[in-house]
Amino acid sequence: MTLLERDREAPSAWKGSLPVTSRYTYGLAGERFFRALKDEGKILASYCPKCDHTYVPAVNFCERCLSELTEWQDAGLVGVLHTYTLLFVDFEGQPLDEPELIGFISFGDGGIIHKLDANPDELEIGMPMKAVLKPQKERSGSILDIRCFQPVNK
Amino acid sequence: MGMRKVAVIGAGMTKFVRRALETPKELSWEAAKMALDSCELTMDDVDGVCFGTAPDAFDGVHMNGEYCSDGAGAWNKPFMRCFVGGGTGVFVPIQGWYHVASGLFDVVLVVAEEKMSSYYPHAQAAFLTIFDHTTERPLKPNLLWIFALEMNRYMTTYGIRKEDIARVSVQHKRNAANHPCALLGEANITVEDVLNSEVLAWPVQRFDVSPVSDGAVALVLAAEHVAKRLTDKPVWIEGVGWHLDTAYWTNRDLAYPRYVEYAAKMAYDMAGIKEPRKEIHIAEPYDPFDYKALHHLEGLQLAERGKAIELYLSGAAAPDGDLPICPSGGLLGVGNPIAAAGLMKVAELFWQLRSEAGARQVPGQPRRGLAQAWGDLMQVGTVIVMGR
Repeated sequence: MTLLERDREAPSAWKGSLPVTSRYTYGLAGERFFRALKDEGKILASYCPKCDHTYVPAVNFCERCLSELTEWQDAGLVGVLHTYTLLFVDFEGQPLDEPELIGFISFGDGGIIHKLDANPDELEIGMPMKAVLKPQKERSGSILDIRCFQPVNK
Repeated sequence: MGMRKVAVIGAGMTKFVRRALETPKELSWEAAKMALDSCELTMDDVDGVCFGTAPDAFDGVHMNGEYCSDGAGAWNKPFMRCFVGGGTGVFVPIQGWYHVASGLFDVVLVVAEEKMSSYYPHAQAAFLTIFDHTTERPLKPNLLWIFALEMNRYMTTYGIRKEDIARVSVQHKRNAANHPCALLGEANITVEDVLNSEVLAWPVQRFDVSPVSDGAVALVLAAEHVAKRLTDKPVWIEGVGWHLDTAYWTNRDLAYPRYVEYAAKMAYDMAGIKEPRKEIHIAEPYDPFDYKALHHLEGLQLAERGKAIELYLSGAAAPDGDLPICPSGGLLGVGNPIAAAGLMKVAELFWQLRSEAGARQVPGQPRRGLAQAWGDLMQVGTVIVMGR
């Protein structure tokens, strides 16, 4: 069963009009990546030996040579702060009560964009950052199973 | 005209399925990789990538061409996405052709992908906004309406019976039974099955229509000097054509696709074809609906107006007939992941002309074939003629 179809909150029947929406599959790579995150609390990388290139989040083919990627490895939960921003307005242009930190945490040759839990004054580009995961019972196979990243020495 | 000769030298396709687990990127990659492997090339040999996908809404990703670009092999290459609706699948190899014919590139990878199952509850809703917001949309039209209105007009103009049109669906679905990637191959389907299927919008019934599907197809195109080095069996692109009719579907001749005629004439002139019915040996007209195959065969000058059905009634359209139509199984049988479905037809010509079509190989070693698609706001015709 795929991660998507495990959604038990999906209604089995619907009365009235049905909103038009998109239902995505996780894909071959996504099923493996998000299952590892959910069940084992791991962030997986995939490596192309031909191009010497590491993809995080892991993908199942190398976009450079189109080889299938079979070398998957645990990337660990600690990456490096590549850049960050501080948000003062929300999606709809309304001012936020508290500014929000968003960062790009690099892993391998790729990385993950996520929320940061830190004091903006203590952030330095290049510092190690650790993923804070939700407890396993609350994880659903989503990028939000990572609650945020925070400085390793916090 | 100073254009270089262009050959198709490799092809690959995924299975066409109702709902793929693969993401659009992964489907694109599977087809692209198969096409490259089939002619033993790598991305290092590819100069540019052409990618076709129909409305972004199906895959549910805005700018879907850019999103799928990694799967299509576009990293670090000149990359072009074309989009002419349903006509895309035959337009994207035309786009690849002119990049090679012009002398710009020697090798081009052509990929077409569609993942219609993402759209929920049904891909049909993706078409809601193609209609005029003021004059048409308040009536909540969908594409089935348009086809039902056109089919009725076509049948009435020429006095064609519905049970005869059903033969098209039967022939194509039976052909598809021999296609390893087909979604709706049915070796034993009958005219009665078609006539007994659910009425969707009279005269269109369930089995008159191709299914919503997911899939991808890819081709490798090469300039003559490269093609001759790489294969003993190049399949040459001899002619291409495309043409647009009025944007008002109410101002078109619904009984005769003028846009297909003009697109075909462009392709025939380029290929030096004077008598298409004699010089085309297999045809893959676009068949999202059974009557549409007939409609298009007439526009392609492969039958007189109102007479295309005779090709089916006489057996000429069968795989062992003198003009096999949709030996692949067409959209009605193999499936209809929009852009991928059109390119599937071109891939079918490649396999048939090389005598590599397996169980669905037509006899007689056909020398020349034609593929055609149709789309945009139901008014574009795209045509490609290939020969060995």
